[in-house]
Amino acid sequence: MPGGQYRYLFSPLQLGPVTVANRIVFAAHLTNYAEHGMPSEQHAAYYAARAAGGAGLIITEEHSVHPTDWPYEKMIHGFRPEVLPGYQRITEVVHAHGVPIFAQINHNGGQASSMYTRLPVWGPSPVADPLFREVPKAIDHLEIAEMVAGYADVAARCKEGGFDGIELQCSHSSIVRGFLSRATNTRTDEYGGSLENRARLLHGIVAAVREAIGRDLALGVRLCGDELIEHGITIDETVEVAQAVEERGLVDYINTSIGVATASLFMIEASMHIPPEYAMFIPSALRKAVDLPVVGVGRFKDPLQAERALAQGHADLIGIVRGQIADAEFGAKARSGNHHDIRLCLSCNQECVGRMGLNRWLGCIENPVTGREAQPVALRPSAPKRVLVVGAGPAGLQAGIAAARAGHQVTIQERAEEAGGQVRWAARVPNRAEFGDLVRNQVHEAAAVGVELQLGIEVTAASVEAFAPDAVVVATGSVPARPWWAPPPLGGGGPAPGETAVIDATDVVTGRFAPQGRVIVIDEVGFHQATSVAELLADRGCSVEILSPAMVVGQDLGITLDMENWWLRASSKGIDQIPDSVIVGMDGGALQVLHHPTGVTTPKTADWVVLAVPGSPADELYFQLKARYGGTAVTVERIGDCVAPRRAHAAVIEGNRVGASL
Amino acid sequence: MKLDDVRLLEPLPLRDREARNRVLFGPHETNLGWDRSLSERHLAYYERRAAGGAGVIVAEEASVHESDWPYERCPLASECGPGWRRLAQVAHRHGALALAAIGHTGGQGSSAYSQRPLWAPSGVPEVNTREMPKVMEPEDIDAVVRGFGEAAESAMRAGQDGVEINAGQNSVVRQFLSGLTNQRGDAYGTDRLRFAREVLHAVRAGAGGGLVGLRLSCDELAPWAGIVPDAAAEIAAQLVPWVDYLVVVRGGIFSVQATRPDGHDAPGFNFDLTAQIRAAVAGRVPVFAQGSIIEVRQAEWALGDDRCDGVEMTRAQIADPDLVNKAAAGQTERIRPCILCNQTCKVRDARNPLVTCVVEPGAGYETTEPDPSGVARHPVELTVVGAGVAGLECARVAAGRGHRVTVIDRATETGGMVRVAAQGSGRHQLAAIADWLTTECDRLGVTVELDREVTPTELGDDEHVVLATGSQPGVPTYEISDDAVVIGADEVLAAARTGTGVESLPPGPVVIWDPIGGPIAASVAELLAADGLDVTLVTPDLIVGTLLSRSGDLAPVNTRLAAAGVTFVKRAVVREARAVGVVVEDRFTGEQRELKTAALIDAGPRLPDEELWVAAGRRHPRAGDAVAPRTIYEAVLEGRRAALAVEGER
Repeated sequence: MPGGQYRYLFSPLQLGPVTVANRIVFAAHLTNYAEHGMPSEQHAAYYAARAAGGAGLIITEEHSVHPTDWPYEKMIHGFRPEVLPGYQRITEVVHAHGVPIFAQINHNGGQASSMYTRLPVWGPSPVADPLFREVPKAIDHLEIAEMVAGYADVAARCKEGGFDGIELQCSHSSIVRGFLSRATNTRTDEYGGSLENRARLLHGIVAAVREAIGRDLALGVRLCGDELIEHGITIDETVEVAQAVEERGLVDYINTSIGVATASLFMIEASMHIPPEYAMFIPSALRKAVDLPVVGVGRFKDPLQAERALAQGHADLIGIVRGQIADAEFGAKARSGNHHDIRLCLSCNQECVGRMGLNRWLGCIENPVTGREAQPVALRPSAPKRVLVVGAGPAGLQAGIAAARAGHQVTIQERAEEAGGQVRWAARVPNRAEFGDLVRNQVHEAAAVGVELQLGIEVTAASVEAFAPDAVVVATGSVPARPWWAPPPLGGGGPAPGETAVIDATDVVTGRFAPQGRVIVIDEVGFHQATSVAELLADRGCSVEILSPAMVVGQDLGITLDMENWWLRASSKGIDQIPDSVIVGMDGGALQVLHHPTGVTTPKTADWVVLAVPGSPADELYFQLKARYGGTAVTVERIGDCVAPRRAHAAVIEGNRVGASL
Repeated sequence: MKLDDVRLLEPLPLRDREARNRVLFGPHETNLGWDRSLSERHLAYYERRAAGGAGVIVAEEASVHESDWPYERCPLASECGPGWRRLAQVAHRHGALALAAIGHTGGQGSSAYSQRPLWAPSGVPEVNTREMPKVMEPEDIDAVVRGFGEAAESAMRAGQDGVEINAGQNSVVRQFLSGLTNQRGDAYGTDRLRFAREVLHAVRAGAGGGLVGLRLSCDELAPWAGIVPDAAAEIAAQLVPWVDYLVVVRGGIFSVQATRPDGHDAPGFNFDLTAQIRAAVAGRVPVFAQGSIIEVRQAEWALGDDRCDGVEMTRAQIADPDLVNKAAAGQTERIRPCILCNQTCKVRDARNPLVTCVVEPGAGYETTEPDPSGVARHPVELTVVGAGVAGLECARVAAGRGHRVTVIDRATETGGMVRVAAQGSGRHQLAAIADWLTTECDRLGVTVELDREVTPTELGDDEHVVLATGSQPGVPTYEISDDAVVIGADEVLAAARTGTGVESLPPGPVVIWDPIGGPIAASVAELLAADGLDVTLVTPDLIVGTLLSRSGDLAPVNTRLAAAGVTFVKRAVVREARAVGVVVEDRFTGEQRELKTAALIDAGPRLPDEELWVAAGRRHPRAGDAVAPRTIYEAVLEGRRAALAVEGER
């Protein structure tokens, strides 16, 4: 039977005039692939890869319908006629795989700044957006008409460009939601007040767009089920709106979302700390209220989970975005019964969501091809080499995978009894287990491409020589570093009575030491290291403070949308966060803490001090090998933390680059 | 100022070349390119400054090696050849010297674009990104040194007059010179000048007979291990045999913002340092002073008493490209003033904003924004309601084009909200734009009627009218009990103008509610704290002044406020203003508490003042805050556009 165990997932469905072969939707999401406002070759290659990989329906990222809407630099300017060749290119390459593709069109309204447009931001009312903080111009009826005409114009252009349907983003970042919501619509004319009035713009746009595209194209509306803000839209109103949309008979499906992109983004692109299916109540409620097909979204990461949601009747289609960013062949692998081959998304948000907010092209922590689909693939080498990779952390594993894919004969030797390096430990702390899927995915892929993984092997310069490789890739990672003020590392026996123990964060996650009592965690990395350990220890009953020289503890948690939930958890667990603090010494067991804005130094005591500080590269073997093989035919490379201790994505990218280019 | 008083205009010999005057337009990030070459926009931007009289134009710094890609639009030397060539041509056509800035930001770069490790002398993470760099291996050092030489060679091949090496606040050369960032045990650590010398040798060789300038951080403001002035004097003396001029700057990893600070640092902050370095090199090469030199008289002050031989006036020439020409014409008062706000000219920001200027929004937009100068074919009578920045700019441009313009304002003086905002601590320079616009309007014969209300009936059908009526207070987002004292931040600032800032408030502590995180609330807090008040600043954010990161004032403002004893209540929203307290709620825990206070000062967003527009039938064009309350930048831009639109109306 088609789809094997995924009976619902791989059954076709009709969306107006369009038949989708399966229920997997590559839903709209920003990519920052646009160039000068135009869709790029990278867009085409990116979507084509997901079409080839088994998606049932692709919905592009939003296209702006009006020159007043340009909130981020690399947005597709649908309002400019020159986009047409780009549209045609995208639809052509996606259609080559027999997959329909819809264009999402939108105006972000007040959720924008005038930085790029140098025009007033348009909104329903002069209510400043919580992120952009720019007061919008309350648009008048002429401007509303102009904008609606823009929707129709862009929709018609999308039709000409070969798209099979149009989706109106009326949800998390849209002027349509701005009008729908009491939080942003304070108008007193016929567009404000009652829900009917607030929905007037939505119905007007739907009518104009349907008029523009006729009945040959599908038309969908994406609605926000809960803004998760004060005075915001909740599910009851959304149900009413969906019913009103259905009643008018112009729309073919309803897509859903949760949150407001500029206020509650952390719930839209939820990280691994938010349980999967957290937004299921939205499609579920809408599906009960309307007959139109409903798309559900929200951290669906594996086919089984999607199948269950369909089987239980919560939704008719499932939006799987990050799952297909991590593995473009998500659908094909599920359909063919090889779901174990799927490179599961970690919901880490580091290189997808995390790069979007920083105006960088979309990538993936574990899929080095994401974002580079349009780049030519390297050819296989003419002479396969005997490659030795030292270290089975994310860098070494990826180098092994890439080298094996390039046709080399690869052995990875790792000192530990387990692969994964520091990722294993990072995944051992509360709610971070999914980070460990990185190792599972890599180990599985390495085995599949014929890499020989040897664990428990201590590699030395002599053992490398005995191995006689043509190329050595050193991926030996990093070792904990100690700041100048810290006493020598603690022996295995633990601290003497009354002694303030100063240990590394890895000592906690590996279980080497189990601090008790009052603990100070020093955060000089600014990511999950300090906060994770703090949480682990607070859960064990310790009284925990985190000190950081930065203005915010765990400063980069905001990039991955983990900041809000971190604060919620830290508050409930009683973890104190003390920013702006530099340790300038340790005196008789007391940390000397400089509050740098005021220059005041105060002593601080604790039973344990846990260091989340940058490590040192473990580069001895590399330099030995470099000296040994310099000027010979043997290539010596180094990758990952043994170059400079950084985050996992750097390890994967470097591993891939070096492995593929040996 | 008389022409013969102006030392600035004297030619400056540079090796075998001569700059026509002593004003340098310094290298700065612009984001005007799309890829890593120099674009048409770059060219137009620099040409405008060359045409305006700049003596030396130093183009945006180009990375000398592919290991350096610090911001997305950062030029790469190997891709700048054609751009440098055209730039040299246009600079020379207008009589300016053209120099190519070259550098490598080392550990202060970004791996986001290259997706490769950062290279730095030692494993010292950058203060903000905390990214650990790769410790450069000998071959990496050789590659960067070679890159400097090749970049210099390429610039000279392209017809540039020379190159300027960056050893300033974002630079691997400085990182090698400084004990903060160079902890190497090899020859590059025991002799921290070695790398700089190798770079200079390579550049000297590559540049041939061209100029070699050195931009040197002479104070990292981190005396515990950083470069201090005395050490810098030594460094300068040692390196000077290979260079043709020096630019003295300050700043390092802990103080990148100190090189180009906003109005909180009084101009002249670098003059003593510059004088010390100049003395150390004993006149062997010309020395340029840098750092918030925005007025001709400041430049003259710097050039006096042998402090320096030339001045870098970068922001001043962003604000007015014709600065030198106006000075030469004896019209220094006509120079449009830089107001040291750093709001839009600082573009080292992930969003890649284009360089521009709040008072000259045509800057950076030379190829797209219409030139407001010129003469209208059919002059008309124009009435502008509102003599704030939007109204004045509209009047100035319209009058300059030959229209007969009347500006009417209900206030008794021109300048609108800018004069109020200028009362904020460290913001006094803002008033200069109101003064300048007023003077220009006067010069251009604009009729200004103050202390006069305009009624809707006055705005007849045929008249050309622009409404620049500004803003009104916003709607409070919290409950206010009857006996609570709630005051707008603007009211406090306005009272400060008359010297009654503190007296306008009831005695006791005050709470400032800042849902924006921009300069207003922070400057009010600083002002009141300086007057001895007990001030608490409430922000919904994790940090105070979050929007100030772009202007560079984020860390400084936090330091100043902390030093002034201002209490921060972060992650909180105001729920209720009571007679003796303000109820705030923690955004994450929902916990509420009352802050004891005599008054709540609201620094929240404002609303457009639409009264006249509505009463007159919602048909007149508007500009500035009357459209939506924003900043000086939007007011100037819209005022200017409204003036040009007058001609398109009929």
